[in-house]
Amino acid sequence: MPSAFSILKKLLKNISGSDSGGEKQAVCRGDAIKKEDSPLLERRLALIRERLGESKDIVIREFSSSNNQVKLAILYVDGLVDRRLINDHIIRPIQSDFIVKNFSHRLTEQNALQFLKKHITSISEVAEAANLTQAIKMMFSGETALLINGEKKILVYSTRSWDRRSVTEPETEPAVRGPREGFTETLRTNTALLRRRIRHENLRMESVRAGRRTGTDVVLAYINDIVNPLTLEEVRKRIAAIDTDSILESGYIEEFIEDVPFCIFPQIEHTERADKAAAAILDGRILILVDNTPHALIVPTSFFQFIQASEDYYERPHIATALRFLRLFVLNIALMLPAVYVAIITFHQEMLPTTLLLSIAAAREGVPFPAVAEALLMEAMFEVLREAGVRLPKTVGQAVSIVGGLVIGDASIRAGLVSPSMVIVVAVTAISTFALPAFNASIALRILRFPLIILAGLMGLYGVIFGLLIILIHLAGLQSFGVPYLSPLAHGSANDMLKTFARPFWWMTRQRADELGLRDKKRQAGNIGMRRTPFAERELTHDNTEENDAGKG
Amino acid sequence: MLEKGRISPRQTGQLLFMTTIATVIFFAPSMIAGLAGHDAWLAALAGPMFALITLLLIIWLGRKHPGLTIFQYSEVILGRWLGKTVALLYVWGFLHIGAIAVREFGDFMTTSFMSHTPISLFNFSIILLCAWSVITGLEVIARMNEFIIILLVSFLLLILMFSTPNWELGYLLPFFSRGAMPVLQAALIPAAWHGNIIVLAVILPFITRPARAFFAGTAAVLTSATLLTVGVIGMTAVFGPELSSSFLFPLHLFAQTINIGQIITRFESAVMTIWTAGIFIKTSVFYYCAALGLAQILNLKEVRPVVLPLGILLGTLSISLFEDVTMLVSFLEKTRPLYTLSLYSFGLPLLLFAVTLIREKIFGSRFGEETNEA
Repeated sequence: MPSAFSILKKLLKNISGSDSGGEKQAVCRGDAIKKEDSPLLERRLALIRERLGESKDIVIREFSSSNNQVKLAILYVDGLVDRRLINDHIIRPIQSDFIVKNFSHRLTEQNALQFLKKHITSISEVAEAANLTQAIKMMFSGETALLINGEKKILVYSTRSWDRRSVTEPETEPAVRGPREGFTETLRTNTALLRRRIRHENLRMESVRAGRRTGTDVVLAYINDIVNPLTLEEVRKRIAAIDTDSILESGYIEEFIEDVPFCIFPQIEHTERADKAAAAILDGRILILVDNTPHALIVPTSFFQFIQASEDYYERPHIATALRFLRLFVLNIALMLPAVYVAIITFHQEMLPTTLLLSIAAAREGVPFPAVAEALLMEAMFEVLREAGVRLPKTVGQAVSIVGGLVIGDASIRAGLVSPSMVIVVAVTAISTFALPAFNASIALRILRFPLIILAGLMGLYGVIFGLLIILIHLAGLQSFGVPYLSPLAHGSANDMLKTFARPFWWMTRQRADELGLRDKKRQAGNIGMRRTPFAERELTHDNTEENDAGKG
Repeated sequence: MLEKGRISPRQTGQLLFMTTIATVIFFAPSMIAGLAGHDAWLAALAGPMFALITLLLIIWLGRKHPGLTIFQYSEVILGRWLGKTVALLYVWGFLHIGAIAVREFGDFMTTSFMSHTPISLFNFSIILLCAWSVITGLEVIARMNEFIIILLVSFLLLILMFSTPNWELGYLLPFFSRGAMPVLQAALIPAAWHGNIIVLAVILPFITRPARAFFAGTAAVLTSATLLTVGVIGMTAVFGPELSSSFLFPLHLFAQTINIGQIITRFESAVMTIWTAGIFIKTSVFYYCAALGLAQILNLKEVRPVVLPLGILLGTLSISLFEDVTMLVSFLEKTRPLYTLSLYSFGLPLLLFAVTLIREKIFGSRFGEETNEA
């Protein structure tokens, strides 16, 4: 039976000859209605009803022009559009007496498309969709389709308006100084935030779609005359190669386009901060904005970007430089303090000053486990607490902190399960983990801590360095979009090195990073060096005195 | 081309520096002190003379045969079979030096830190790491080295700095107490290490700006010699020549003497940690050279197939070459300077140089042009 039906369908198609593009794929159930995109309004509406099914949020409104010459239908998704805009600027002008009074002789079905577009409707952004499929696609991103009887093309008005979160301070990347604006879930808002920061003609926002079913908008933002064209081409290629049905967050894209899929370290930085994103673009990197998520991706990324915070660039450079070194230190602590502690306690006691060793030994006296087991136990405990803290509602959070901090910490020491020194080590490590600006990088460190502890328990400091060398080999081999992951340490120039580990004064920063191979490396005119100081102040005081003199005179 | 990566002249210099300093600072001081006594630091200073000659030869040969490694141009110069023999000799040489480095490391670990652990654990575990880095390629080794070199050098300088309160500079006097001959003889010991510059003959074609290779090599030799000299001065000044020659690993004990305010004490475990990284780089470089050489001799498309067999060979050699640590030390002191200098660092390059000259001047062969495309 179905086979006979399909033969019939094929025959029908052959007779009708043309079938318009994508339509035929969309037809899933065989119905008696003709499948092609007919310009006749009724047929079209029937086809739409068949394709879209019984979705209550899709509004189809038929009406005719005031001179009764043209039958029209309007089509939009309720909730994604500004209804007042549609009522006042599309439907009302067409239905009002205005047409009858002024243009009655001219509005016919033949010229309706151009006529309505040019003279009647008053909405700034209008597009013409070539066929129904295209119009429906646009309708789902909040546009309004105006179907005209007898006209194949469809007018599409931009009437987007939906409930959106307002621009707020990003919770995951707070800063003491700096703008409080973070990206939101709405792509347009995000691009506007960027435009407001970079008012230059060469800021490009390239749009692509990814995800067959979600049809997510992805925007590549970059500055045309700075960015490395090869990198840009590579990013385009990788995004175009994504073949999936859904993109719900930029994390999906991150996984699809990163260089080494099995790597535990994040290879692409992400940010919620609009100022950080703008800075990345101005550095010559490429920003990938994804609709429906506030997290934008920055490529290419190198490891040491994770020790930088956007605040560094607003605070005094001395402090920012000191903070970067602090973060480097903290990074090492977060990765290997428990492992080093285990190694020293188990194998290299001589490294500790005698009094410290004695007090640690005294505290450890009643502890039944070897230091490795103790460390693993406490680390695992901490991870559980942290995970519970993230998931719990705020009201219960306090209970967890009491249970975790007091009961487990204090009681386990009193019960002689762990030594106080181990609790200190684990606590310091835990705090260090959160002192890093990049959450995704600190997760990687947290995971790697465990194998390092085990290696330390097996082979002492040699085990630790063995583990670290494994990590180093892996990291040294990584590349992110052609830029070595460990750069500038492992490839870069002195210029890059200075800018990564220190934060030079802005007036000293005359060049962009060498590692990216940019078109335009120059940030400021002049040679790299100290700013000469024959400066405004002197003139100012001079002016003041002159004024004062004049005042006196 | 077997190696696709390219390294910068700076990375080259750092690699060459590391291949020397990683082990010389641990082993040479006691041997030099044994021969030269008070003048140990003079011997350390005189060490790099031979290396500079080797460097000149290598650079000259590299200019004649741009884009070729020593394994390839030995074949060009000496003909197929003789050339392959020389290339194989070099593969053996690199393997041998690598095995010695691994053994030095294993012996250090077992004698100074973990006497109950079998040496094979240390040797094979570090070779495992090296094998991985060899597979990932020269570029990655060079990048890691940039990271490790900062740690190693700053640690060495830190130790030297912290030890200054214990320095007794009178130990350095008098000069030439035993005459000039022992000093020159002792200079051969660090010269054997500086002779590792021959590695440049393998990595020369992979440098982004080959013209800067000579500068990189010279800088590497001179800086490593300087650091060694400072180290020897420090050790002599702390222990005196007799004591420092009696230790197996003077740097280790040297680090133990450090005591700054009862807090910074017993540095040696930290030294061991950093040194492990240094040994790792050094072994990786020699392992890499051996693997690349073997692959080129056998006309393989990639290095990967020879890495594992060579690794097993390396591990086995590192254990079976010497019966114990005293045999290793006597080998390093007496046999190795003559062996490596006469053969790898000096003899064979000189042979290649001479044959090239003879073929050019007498038989009118021309080198360089036809290999430009390759």
